[in-house]
Amino acid sequence: MLQNQNKRNYLVDFKLYFKSWITTFRGKVTLVCLIGLFIIPFITTNTYILGIFYTFMIYTIFAASWDFLAGYVGQVSFGHAIFLGVAAYVTAYTTRFIPLAFWDFSTSQWVIIGPMPWWITLLLGAFIAVLFGLIVGIPSLRLKGPYLALGTLAMSLILYEIFKMSSLGTLWSNLFPGTVLFGTNGIGQVPPISQDPIIQYIIIFLIMCTAMAFLTHLVKSNTGTIFKAIRDDETGTKASGINTTKYKIIAFMISGFIAGIAGSLWSLRISGVNPGIFQPIYSFYGIIMAAIGGIATISGSALGAFIFVFLGEFLRLLGDNPNITGAIGGFVEPIFVFSIILILIIRFAEHGILQPALERLQNVWDLVLGR
Amino acid sequence: MNVNLIEELLSFIISGAIQGSIYSLLALGFSLVYGVGGILNQAHGAFYVIATYLMYVFIKDVAGLGFILGIIFGLGITTIIGGLMYLLLIKPLKESHVGVVIVTFAFAFFIEQIVGILVDKIYHKIPDYFLYFGVDPEYFTVLGVDIQYQSLIIIIVAIVLVVLTTIFIKKSKLGKSIRAVAQDSEAAELMGINVDKILAYTLMISAFLAGVAAIINGPLGTVAPHIGWPILINSFAIVVLGGLGSLPGSVIGAFILAFASKFTDSFIDPIFGALIPIVVIVVMLVIRPRGLFGKKEIK
Repeated sequence: MLQNQNKRNYLVDFKLYFKSWITTFRGKVTLVCLIGLFIIPFITTNTYILGIFYTFMIYTIFAASWDFLAGYVGQVSFGHAIFLGVAAYVTAYTTRFIPLAFWDFSTSQWVIIGPMPWWITLLLGAFIAVLFGLIVGIPSLRLKGPYLALGTLAMSLILYEIFKMSSLGTLWSNLFPGTVLFGTNGIGQVPPISQDPIIQYIIIFLIMCTAMAFLTHLVKSNTGTIFKAIRDDETGTKASGINTTKYKIIAFMISGFIAGIAGSLWSLRISGVNPGIFQPIYSFYGIIMAAIGGIATISGSALGAFIFVFLGEFLRLLGDNPNITGAIGGFVEPIFVFSIILILIIRFAEHGILQPALERLQNVWDLVLGR
Repeated sequence: MNVNLIEELLSFIISGAIQGSIYSLLALGFSLVYGVGGILNQAHGAFYVIATYLMYVFIKDVAGLGFILGIIFGLGITTIIGGLMYLLLIKPLKESHVGVVIVTFAFAFFIEQIVGILVDKIYHKIPDYFLYFGVDPEYFTVLGVDIQYQSLIIIIVAIVLVVLTTIFIKKSKLGKSIRAVAQDSEAAELMGINVDKILAYTLMISAFLAGVAAIINGPLGTVAPHIGWPILINSFAIVVLGGLGSLPGSVIGAFILAFASKFTDSFIDPIFGALIPIVVIVVMLVIRPRGLFGKKEIK
C-alpha cells in the first residue's frame, strides 16, 4: 500500500518536474535539439552523414560518463578508454563467436537458438568493462590523491600493450596457441545492430537519451548530493558518517558502465575493434568533449561532442585537400587543434561554453520576440 | 652452461642498472614536483620527448657541432619549457585540482602532436655517441659480455646527478626554500619565500632531469612521438613504490622496478614484464599506500 502510494507520488512528481522543465528556456532548447536529432534519418539516409551522427551520439554517452565522474564526484580518470576498449572487445567477441544457446536437460546438450542478440552483448560488455576498471578502481579510490588518474592511465596503456601482442609469450603459448587476443588486427566483421540504418539510428538515439536522462536524474537525486559533497569536501562528508569509499566506487562503476555501453555501441557501429581503442587518445577525446561543454554539466557533453565530431570532420576534410595542405602543413591535424582548444578552454573558460552559449541564445531569442 | 649463466647474469645486472639509472632521474623529478607543489605533472613524459627530439634533430641535421648543440639546446629548451609550463598553465589553475591535471595532460598531447608535425611520426634511432665521434668498436668485453661505453656514461651521469640534486636540496639556499614550501607552503609564503618562483624552479629542475635522462638514454632508446607515455607510467609506478614525494624512495624504487621488469623480461616472460608497472601500482596501493619510504599522512 505504502509502496504503491510512493510510486504514484513519484510519477506525479515526475509529471510536475517535466512540466516545469519544459517551460524553462533550457528545457525547450533541449527538446528542440532532440527532435531535430530524431528526424535526421527520415530526411536523409546518406551513410556518410548518418555515420557522423552515430559517432556524435556514441561520443556523447562516453563524454557524459567521464563528466559525471570528474565533475560531480571529483574523481578524474585518465583511462576511460579501459571501459571503451574492454566493452568493445567483449561485445565484438560474443556477437561474432558465441551463439545464443541453452542447456537442454532432456537430451543433455547445448541447443543453439541463433546469434547472440545485440542487447545481451551490450550489457555483458559494459558489465565486464566495469569489472576490469575495478582492478585499479578499488585500491585507488580507497585513498585520497592522484592515484585514480594515473592508475587508470597505466591500466589502459598496459591493456593496449597486451592486446597488441601476437601471442601470449613462450610460457603460455603451449596452453593457448596462436594469437589469443586477436593481435593488432583485432576482431572484424561484427554484425551491426540492425541492417536498417533508420532502426539502428533510433536504437542508438534512444540509448543516448536514456543514458543522459539517467545521469541528469542521478546527480539531482539524494545519491547525487552525496557525490557532490564528496567532491567539495571529502573529509567533511566522512565526518558526517558517510562511507565515502563506497560511494566513490559506486560512482566509478556507474560511470564505467555507461562508458562501456558507449564502447559496445562503438564496436557494433564500426563492425569491429582493434587494440588502438586502448590508447590514451580515446580517454583524451572524452575529456576534451566534456571540457568544451563544461565540466559538471551532463548535457554539456552533447554540445562538446557535437563540436568535437563536426569540427574534427571539417579539419579532416581540410587536411585531405591538397591545395590547403601545402600552405598550413600538418597543422590542421585534429588532435593537435583539439589539444590547443582543450588547453585554452581549461585555462580561460573553465566552466565550458554551454552555459554562456545558452545565455546568449536566450538573449537573442528575447530580442526576436521583442521582450 | 655455467659460463652462459654468468654471462646472462652479468648482462641482466648491467641492463637493470642502466634502466634503473634512467628511471631514477625521471622519477626524482616527478616525485619532487609532486612533493613540493602537490602538482601531478602528466606532461612529465613530454619533457623527455622534447629533449629526445631536439637531440635527434641536431645530430641528424647539424654536422660536427650537432652533438654539443643538441645537449645545450635539448637541456636548455626543456628546462625553459618546464618553467613556462608552470607560469602559463599551472599557476593560474592552482586552485582547481582537476584543472591542473587536465591541462598538463593536454600539454602532453600537444607536445606529442607537434613533434609529429614538425619532424615526423615514424620510429628513428639516435646514432651511438661514441660511433658518432669515431670510437669503434663502441663497446668493450668483460667475461664475454659486450658492454657499451654509453651504458657506463648513463650510470655515472645518473649517480652524479642524483648526488648533486640531493646535496642541492639539502644544502643550498634554494634547496632549503624548496623544502620549506614542501613542508608548508602557506608558512613559507609568510616567511617571505616566493612560492610561485620556487615551484617554477622545481618544475625546471624536474624538466632538466628528464632532459638529461632523455639525452643519455638517446642511443639506447627509440625516437617516436608517443614514447612519453610509458615514461610517465613508469615514473608513477616508481613513486607509488617509493612513496609520493620521497626522494630516496624514488631512487630506490627506480632500481627495484628496473630490476623487476628486466628480470621478468629475461628470465620469465616479456608479457609479465609489460605488466610489472600496473602490478606494482595495484599491490602497493592495496598493502602499503604510502609507499616504502613515504611519510604517514595525517588525515
